[in-house]
Amino acid sequence: MMELLQSLEQMGLDLLGPLWLPIWTMVKIMLIVAPVMLSVAYLTYAERKVIGYMQIRIGPNRVGPYGLLQPIADGMKLFFKEIIIPSGSNKFLFIIAPMLGLAPALAAWAVMPFNDVLVLSKVNAGVLYIIAMTSLSVYGIIIAGWSSNSKYAFLGAVRSVAQIVSYELAMGFALVCVLMASQSLNLGEIVMAQKGHAGFLNWFMIPLFPMFVVYVIAGVAETNRAPFDMAEGESEIVAGFHVEYSGMAFALFFLAEYANMILIAFLTSIMFLGGWLSPVPFLPDSLVWLLGKASFILLLFLWFRATFPRYRYDQLMRLGWKVFIPLTILWVVVVAAWMQTPLWVW
Amino acid sequence: MEKIKNFFKTFLLYELVKGMAVTGRYFFARKITVQYPDEKTPQSPRFRGLHAQRRYASGEERCIGCKLCEAVCPALAIKIEVAEREDGTRRTTQYDIDLVKCIFCGFCEESCPVDAIVETRVFEYVGEKKGDLYYTKAMLLANGDKHEAQIAKDRAEDAKFR
Amino acid sequence: MNFETIVFYFFAALMIMAALRVITASNPVHAVLFLVLTFISASGIWMLLEAEFLAITLVLVYVGAVMVLFLFVVMMLDIDLSKLRIGYMKWLPIGLGVAGLLAFEMISVLGYTGSHKTLTVHAADYSNTKELGRLIYTDYVYPFEIAAVLLLVAMVAAIALTMRRRKDAKSQVIPDQIKVKKADRLRIVKMQAETKE
Repeated sequence: MMELLQSLEQMGLDLLGPLWLPIWTMVKIMLIVAPVMLSVAYLTYAERKVIGYMQIRIGPNRVGPYGLLQPIADGMKLFFKEIIIPSGSNKFLFIIAPMLGLAPALAAWAVMPFNDVLVLSKVNAGVLYIIAMTSLSVYGIIIAGWSSNSKYAFLGAVRSVAQIVSYELAMGFALVCVLMASQSLNLGEIVMAQKGHAGFLNWFMIPLFPMFVVYVIAGVAETNRAPFDMAEGESEIVAGFHVEYSGMAFALFFLAEYANMILIAFLTSIMFLGGWLSPVPFLPDSLVWLLGKASFILLLFLWFRATFPRYRYDQLMRLGWKVFIPLTILWVVVVAAWMQTPLWVW
Repeated sequence: MEKIKNFFKTFLLYELVKGMAVTGRYFFARKITVQYPDEKTPQSPRFRGLHAQRRYASGEERCIGCKLCEAVCPALAIKIEVAEREDGTRRTTQYDIDLVKCIFCGFCEESCPVDAIVETRVFEYVGEKKGDLYYTKAMLLANGDKHEAQIAKDRAEDAKFR
Repeated sequence: MNFETIVFYFFAALMIMAALRVITASNPVHAVLFLVLTFISASGIWMLLEAEFLAITLVLVYVGAVMVLFLFVVMMLDIDLSKLRIGYMKWLPIGLGVAGLLAFEMISVLGYTGSHKTLTVHAADYSNTKELGRLIYTDYVYPFEIAAVLLLVAMVAAIALTMRRRKDAKSQVIPDQIKVKKADRLRIVKMQAETKE
């Protein structure tokens, strides 16, 4: 696989010279974006199936074998629907908001390592870059809510943004622990710092277990997923920030939400679950482990949604500010002290 | 002691895990979905679906135009006009049921002294316009003729409970 | 003109355009969004200077958090735009005077120190973040801590000034609500089942 890519790159370089670089980069971007989009489509399918099964139903099974073509049918439907622009809305911002939502979700994948060589861009401050990109996705939501010129949309946007900004702090502090433990901001090096002879015991999940839990829960809140989906709270504010959207513009918000979910799942696997490292020493490290771990986290997301009722907004804010942030700051101090002692073996 | 136990239960997310165990168990449970057009749920002989007017074995229509059903209908869905037929019997000239109004309570069937108006097991009927669901006497009689075997069987099955 | 220069001029032009629109845009929400664009292009220029940590932090802190709160406040304002335009000409001379003074000050400060320094290009494994952290926590530790304390004082002061406890207001005590266990609320009573007559 790698040899093939390298020979292809060399061939293009010989053929086109300096022009080849942008083309080759575009190809690499497509190689990441296309599978992400495909997994987004099938994540919606998996969500409906998993939640269906947990509710003793069978989920979609009409379009194609086992309903496997359902996401494609849904996509086609949304694609051909009209995008209705509400009167009194700010047209330019209304159109650009879904793009602002999706673009950061995809841009964050640029620094994602898939194994020790397979990464689009080896940025030294990769973790910071990803946090910055995810924090930008707020703009899609808040602009959508405001430009729709609808009360429900604005309320949803306000809720969602306050929630994302609050939980970003807890997430950031949880990551600070990982950065201290790995002594690097580069995602690839964070994974390599978890390599050792003891397999999964070397992962940061073990010393940083509270942070792992906080990160997953904050990740659920960050992506506005159930049980923290107050932003959409259909029983209270219809559908939140995207009430006025239809067709492909709505689909973009959908894509962004699921792309963010996949991103959080990959990040969790890389930061806490040893990325592509094998859990047992006698099996080789490979991309398959990373995909497996990310899929497990995604399953947890769906499982949460099937299990827990929606949180109340004041409780959500309390959880973020009064539980998670003190807990994470405390654990930063604990880890800092721990790392000075010989008991730190990671 | 209880407080300490609760503290650890809270931070170890004990209740959340317990909840997830329940949904996790149901993930593997047998699914109860009925795949409707392919499979159908069993129906009771008392099922209250589309209306029909019955005839006697001789082919004579049962309805005598007593208007009990019209009187009892809570949704005012039934409209009846009565006249004397050439042979001197009392018969309906008009017997309409507006299925858009009907709530399928089965009172018409209960009140009928001659078992003329009945509700059948048919529930898969459509109307493309509102008017399509306005059933006239001819349509009801046709329904009765079509489903007579099933209707008679259901009445016989239910007779011992009446 | 190499590639980096083109990128620099692109970001610089974008930044100046956006900064101008911040003060000329009639809609305050648009102004805030242009300010966001200004920050992002500034971060692009910093990226060219190999200051990737600062560039990303600018996006993370200012664009991702501060400006969002800004936007929040501005969106909730109920502004009558036509009222704002009244007195534009009256205040224009004073505004121009202040702007000129500011420009003069900035030029005199920056022109004084602004000798053209050539950038030292570092190897790819040079970690800007590590260097910055080392400097902040060794040479500049006192200014850094003092700045942190100043911010803390400002925050405490702002909260102390605005916080008031209303005695007549009723609110829920969430910790108590969450602490409730099944045993506190629910009593299961065993009763004799009704017998069939």
